[in-house]
Amino acid sequence: MSTAHTASTVKERADLALNDEFLRKAVKFTTERLRNGKKQASEEHGNWDDWRERGRQIRLHTIAHLDYYLNLFANNARANGVHVHFAETSAEAVKLSLEIAQRKQAKSVVKSKSMVTEELHLNHELESIGVEAIETDLGEYIIQLAGETPSHIIIPAIHKNRYQVADLLSKEAGETLAPDTSILAGFVRKKLREKFLEADIGMTGCNFAIAETGSMVLFENEGNARMVTTVPKTQITLMGMERIIPSWADLEVMATLLPRSATGQKLTVYMSGITGPRRQADADGPDEMHIIIVDNGRSLQLGDPEFQELLNCIRCGACLNACPVYRHIGGHAYGGTYSGPIGAVLTPALQKNVAEWDDIANASSLCGACYEACPVKIPLHEMLIYLRRRKLEQGHGNAAESIGMKGFAAVMGNAKRYAGIVKLGKLGQKLVVRDGGIRLKLGPLKGWNTYRVTPSLPKKSFRDQWGTLEQELRHGLQELDPNVRSRMESIMRERDNKGGNGHG
Amino acid sequence: MAKQVDSHEEWLKQLAEESRRKQETFMNGIAEKLRRPRITSAPEHPFRGAPDFWKAFEWPLEERIDRFEANFKAAGGHVERLADMEAAKRFIADKAEALSAKYVIRQNQPELNELGLEGALEPLGAAVRVWNNDPEENWRARAAESDFGVVIADYAAAYTGSVTVLSSKDKGRSVSLLPTVLFVLIPLERLKTRLGEILPDFDAAGREALPAGIHFISGPSRSADIENDLTIGVHGPGVVYALMIG
Repeated sequence: MSTAHTASTVKERADLALNDEFLRKAVKFTTERLRNGKKQASEEHGNWDDWRERGRQIRLHTIAHLDYYLNLFANNARANGVHVHFAETSAEAVKLSLEIAQRKQAKSVVKSKSMVTEELHLNHELESIGVEAIETDLGEYIIQLAGETPSHIIIPAIHKNRYQVADLLSKEAGETLAPDTSILAGFVRKKLREKFLEADIGMTGCNFAIAETGSMVLFENEGNARMVTTVPKTQITLMGMERIIPSWADLEVMATLLPRSATGQKLTVYMSGITGPRRQADADGPDEMHIIIVDNGRSLQLGDPEFQELLNCIRCGACLNACPVYRHIGGHAYGGTYSGPIGAVLTPALQKNVAEWDDIANASSLCGACYEACPVKIPLHEMLIYLRRRKLEQGHGNAAESIGMKGFAAVMGNAKRYAGIVKLGKLGQKLVVRDGGIRLKLGPLKGWNTYRVTPSLPKKSFRDQWGTLEQELRHGLQELDPNVRSRMESIMRERDNKGGNGHG
Repeated sequence: MAKQVDSHEEWLKQLAEESRRKQETFMNGIAEKLRRPRITSAPEHPFRGAPDFWKAFEWPLEERIDRFEANFKAAGGHVERLADMEAAKRFIADKAEALSAKYVIRQNQPELNELGLEGALEPLGAAVRVWNNDPEENWRARAAESDFGVVIADYAAAYTGSVTVLSSKDKGRSVSLLPTVLFVLIPLERLKTRLGEILPDFDAAGREALPAGIHFISGPSRSADIENDLTIGVHGPGVVYALMIG
């Protein structure tokens, strides 16, 4: 676990992130790169909103009929020769995975990127029974060596610079590697080649599962997911129960939305559809293939009108790149497997534990950029409000805040009371005002004054001045100052000559 | 699963029984949460596949070639347009000589059997292996040590700059994955405009007719995981030639 995870609230974790200048710059640079890539790719493709709508419709339809399509997928995958398993909880999924590893007497497992295995902390569990688990995605491999967790769903090691990466890899190599990306990647290629060829089990996630043929689909750029599904004798795939799409024809829509939204690519370098273990006459591909279908809180969203659409998510990360909060605090500040706006909603939703994770729902400005970015139009900003409301309804509100709000209502609801309080404030502030502002970091002022200065109450407030102002407006300002008038007239003439408001 | 079983087959059988039981409770649970009875027959799916305006979209052949080339190159791949298979053979032989290739592995396909790569490359000191022509051989290892892999595309899509390769006994998944340099031969009649002209074929073929591996390849293996710096050839081939024949 990284140090970022030892802090208990999103604010504490964000403070750690905000103090790390490289992290902030790297997150900003990466998210901007990905966001611009997405913008360019979606504009070039054209009719982006029609495609988003189509993506949304396919996901909505599949989730609304999930019992039919998931059942169909399981039956077809089984007919393809896959060993299909169902796990309601993360504990069951871990138990199944470990049992397969033990039965196969596996010494090592090579893994391609899978957020579900992050949810299960599966690497740790495998290590606990003496099985080496090796992440093979370059970014995932780096953070595994560092003993950390991913900070971005698409670029997991976004928070590491190449000097830090060179240090980590040099330790692994037993020699000093130059902080040059091609040298570092070259070392990883060579090192992991050996691991692929000697591993007993290949473990993958699943981007989409095609119900009508029982096939699983993986999108990737490095080729490690192909390695993991081609070289070892046994393949284990962990998939969230909602990864289903009905057909290969539907895959065209997902293949249009996912890579463009994630990295701005027209298609990832590899898109692989795997239908069962190797055929008897084939000379590569796994002999034995397992697919573990994981619930782990997903089904809790079914039938919940406010959160069911969460299951439409295709894990592209576009909402992270669009989010002004994520750009500042980075992924680790969210404290769960999933970060950014999707993590802020998904983490508490999967756990149905509003109390423990409520502070994540507050790490959002509700600006709606996540919804705009989402290729399947999930209203994440609205879900954040639902979460906050549920937190209050369940009595997890802030007691001081609700007392304060009641007091505020009592004061503001009555003009005389308001005037009295302001008068009191003017007297009281004499004790604390310095240089025209209040810097006291006590009581209700602590949060605000940590970063800002509260202005003092003016000697004469706007309300005090209103009588005079009104008089002036009614009587004194009927004629424009001649200088002002001539200036405005000359501006108007200029504008007429140029035309087009200067935009032409 | 509490009972201890001995043979691997028995254990798998036990897991399968467990899985079928679990499947029922899983599906019933979903239906219950959706507050309706189980759906057991195919529902109407009015939104299948791409939007209608897209389904009619098609470029003429010359534009398909140009667009494929532009997209494949933008992803870091190389594209050559060659008159015929003979020219393809010469091209691969020239590269083998220039790069001092020692091992070449190719799919066992009729067009490649006729190509005569062996005759062209062996005088240059490169051994050509034919995928899976000897059941005793460790073919994954042979592919892993190969400098060149040579495959024929089953499809290509211009709009995304992708080639599609399907696995079989004679077409190893490793051949397009493990060698350092990959040559993909694309007969022009297989070059389509959209993914949507390829993917529905797999629906039409149906589950039983599908190969174990269907791979879309859109350039060399790449990563931007270290400081956003693009690195080519991380796990898969770092150099990919698309040879358009015809």
